[in-house]
Amino acid sequence: MTWSHVSRYLIRAEWAPLAGITLFSIVALSLIAPAFLTEYNLFVMLRILSVTSVFALAQMVVIAVGQMNLAVGAIGGLVAILFGGMMEVYGVPVPLAMLIGAAVGILTGWLNGAIIAYSGINGFVVTLAMLSVYTGLNYGITESIPFYNMPQVLLDTYDGKIGPVPNILVIPLVAAALVGLFLFRTRAGRYILATGGNPSAAALSGISIRRSVILAHTVSGALAGFAGMVAVARLGTAEPTIGVDWLLPSFAAPVIGGAILSGGRVSVIGTMVAVVLIVLLENGLLLARTDPYYVQFFLGVLILAAVMFNRWRAVSAEKVTAARENAS
Amino acid sequence: MTASALLVEKATKIFPGVKALANVDLELKSGEIHALLGENGAGKSTLIKIVTGVYRPDEGSVSVMGSSVDFSSPRDAFAAGIGVVHQERNLIPRYSVAENIMIEQLPTKWRLIDRGEMNRQAKHWLGALDLNIDPDVPVNRLSVAQMQLVEIARALSQQSRILLLDEPTASITENEIKVLFDLLRRLKGDGVAILFVSHKLEEVFELCDRVTILRDGRNACAGVPIEDLDKQRVVAHMVGREDALGDIGERHASIGKVMFELKGVSTAAGHQDIDLKVHKGEVVGLYGLVGAGRSELAKAVIGAERVTGGEVFVSGERATVRNVQDALRRWRIGYVSEDRKQEGLILLHSVAKNTAITVWHRLGKFLNLFSDRQERDAIISFVQKLDVRTPSLEQDVANLSGGNQQKVSVAKWLAAEAEILIVDEPTVGIDIRTKGYLHRLVWDLAEQGAAIVLITSDLAEMVLLADRVVVMRDFRIIGNLQNTYNYEQMSRRIMGCIHEADVVVGRADGAPALKGA
Repeated sequence: MTWSHVSRYLIRAEWAPLAGITLFSIVALSLIAPAFLTEYNLFVMLRILSVTSVFALAQMVVIAVGQMNLAVGAIGGLVAILFGGMMEVYGVPVPLAMLIGAAVGILTGWLNGAIIAYSGINGFVVTLAMLSVYTGLNYGITESIPFYNMPQVLLDTYDGKIGPVPNILVIPLVAAALVGLFLFRTRAGRYILATGGNPSAAALSGISIRRSVILAHTVSGALAGFAGMVAVARLGTAEPTIGVDWLLPSFAAPVIGGAILSGGRVSVIGTMVAVVLIVLLENGLLLARTDPYYVQFFLGVLILAAVMFNRWRAVSAEKVTAARENAS
Repeated sequence: MTASALLVEKATKIFPGVKALANVDLELKSGEIHALLGENGAGKSTLIKIVTGVYRPDEGSVSVMGSSVDFSSPRDAFAAGIGVVHQERNLIPRYSVAENIMIEQLPTKWRLIDRGEMNRQAKHWLGALDLNIDPDVPVNRLSVAQMQLVEIARALSQQSRILLLDEPTASITENEIKVLFDLLRRLKGDGVAILFVSHKLEEVFELCDRVTILRDGRNACAGVPIEDLDKQRVVAHMVGREDALGDIGERHASIGKVMFELKGVSTAAGHQDIDLKVHKGEVVGLYGLVGAGRSELAKAVIGAERVTGGEVFVSGERATVRNVQDALRRWRIGYVSEDRKQEGLILLHSVAKNTAITVWHRLGKFLNLFSDRQERDAIISFVQKLDVRTPSLEQDVANLSGGNQQKVSVAKWLAAEAEILIVDEPTVGIDIRTKGYLHRLVWDLAEQGAAIVLITSDLAEMVLLADRVVVMRDFRIIGNLQNTYNYEQMSRRIMGCIHEADVVVGRADGAPALKGA
């Protein structure tokens, strides 16, 4: 791979315009707001990123199979309070608590997928119901009272650094790499994408749709649960409200990143760049002393703009192809 | 018979990858019944969609009653007095018969729907078709034939001066056809311009005044009086046999042992007592009219539908095909779907991914991980062998022409090393050159030792390619004919088979037909 290969790849990539906008925002913000490039501010953003990126990937995997997971936040919240509760109430060591938390994430995701695959009920409805089920369990267990005493080792590891590099930089990078490998480089991942792209064609090619759907939801549950645990480490408390505000960004990031909601096409890099853009947007508005209540408004505008841009690109690409056919 | 009720001039329509219509003319006069003929994929439906405002022509013009029109939606066409019965079902299943018939013009009282009046009007139009069904019944309770008649009633209720009927007789019986024809003649007498699309030439000669024939998106002829044509000439126009089904070389058949056999198989889809043998190296054609159960049988064979009785043998071994994966990996049975966009391909995925979908399970060692390069290496020889014209393997198949898409959907089964291949309508919507290529390919595959079941509704294609023709009707096999490669003779024998079954089986428009409901 020479430099020209790399640059051509970068320019042709679907997420290239998005990355351009993101870079532009970074440059603009650092020029306008002196506080932006400070180590403190960058670290604050990274902390947000460590959670958002993981639950965005959780949603993305389900979008890949052509469905939606409305319960990402609910799974994240349930795993978060179980994780925190185990450590505070029973003194379970961090690694074991993480394993159990992961198992709960996997189980809840699997349950979503199994109900959808075996009942044939629309995934939207099932995950909507499960959103309520998991949230209800969460509130039942906690009675809305957070677990405050998290082990110091968890918080220290989360905020620690190896040399100049913060530990939590690893989270989005590794999560994205693993999800990318899984979706694009393994059979099971390809089956998920094929199922999302055209379920009938996938089925007639020997792919089990049921298995793909269940697997996508299971992976999604695992990621959502992990995001919940990262959120506990970030906040230093296991709050029952973790996850309640995840739904919008969890869809926004994959969609801005170029995913097609009907399934079959998602972009890991696009999603990650979009997460950065969303975090920048929030941070920029904060630095500009905008009323934080308006963040949602601007996020909505960003989603619309990105989707319209993608649509415009798809249509003009189609026109180019048609014109070429015409000429030939 | 003077003014043109509908005039289409030089209509051209291009879709990504295919020129569906090129400079097509069509003239419909008031008080005539005009036949529009052509093979599958010749552009009939595209032309109808242009006239009814579903598509806009890229070039050319449409005028109604002498004034030029530019429809941007089906509502515009409706407003201009064009009524249509589309080939696909366009009924709303849970709505009542009356609601479906009157949906464009619901009678109201105090701004609320007047159900009594609606039912009364609907009943009137049902009566015109001699159809005695309760207008209050939801249409999903009707038989396929009844649904078709309800669609016709809806078109009638609009009292259009121009009426387009796309295959209106595809699923209705002789008696109903007779009633329909009498009615159409009456409408013609009233000065309505009627366009009649059908595959059944007998009907065309019985009913129509003039004929326009399309072939590969062009006029093979336009507005020729029926008296100047006979069946042979019509077929020649439709298939352009001199160039279309011309030279695809010689068939070097070497037929081996029985590779695939069905004994007394019945299925959940409704098949009964199916006996079928396919030998190594043989091309067995499966012919039947729409709804005869051919594709459904194919799906049962590959495990996508349930086999409820009888025995299946692959290479002499008793085979239980549990699911499609089992069919593919264990028994090496592949199915090239008739509907490549809905069932064959994943349009927004690349050529490489679409071809490799059947071999992913063989790729990758450690943790099942594999690279794009491994995937490419596994399939590139098949893509080349089939001469798929694509700028690169990374191109999305949506951007390929129909013929090349079809090659991709065949390539994936070659990559899967299928030894028994069911090819369902392989040349629908494909240009003539690629058609010849695909025809040759079917033979090549057989000559290389595959056992092939060819399903096609194109009789000429069937007679050209098959070694043996098995005829199906109403989910049963009713004939097994050695191919003589003589079109006239074979078509007569095959049609004779189907017609004979008419008498023997009787008019079974009941059980199997309801499957579609």
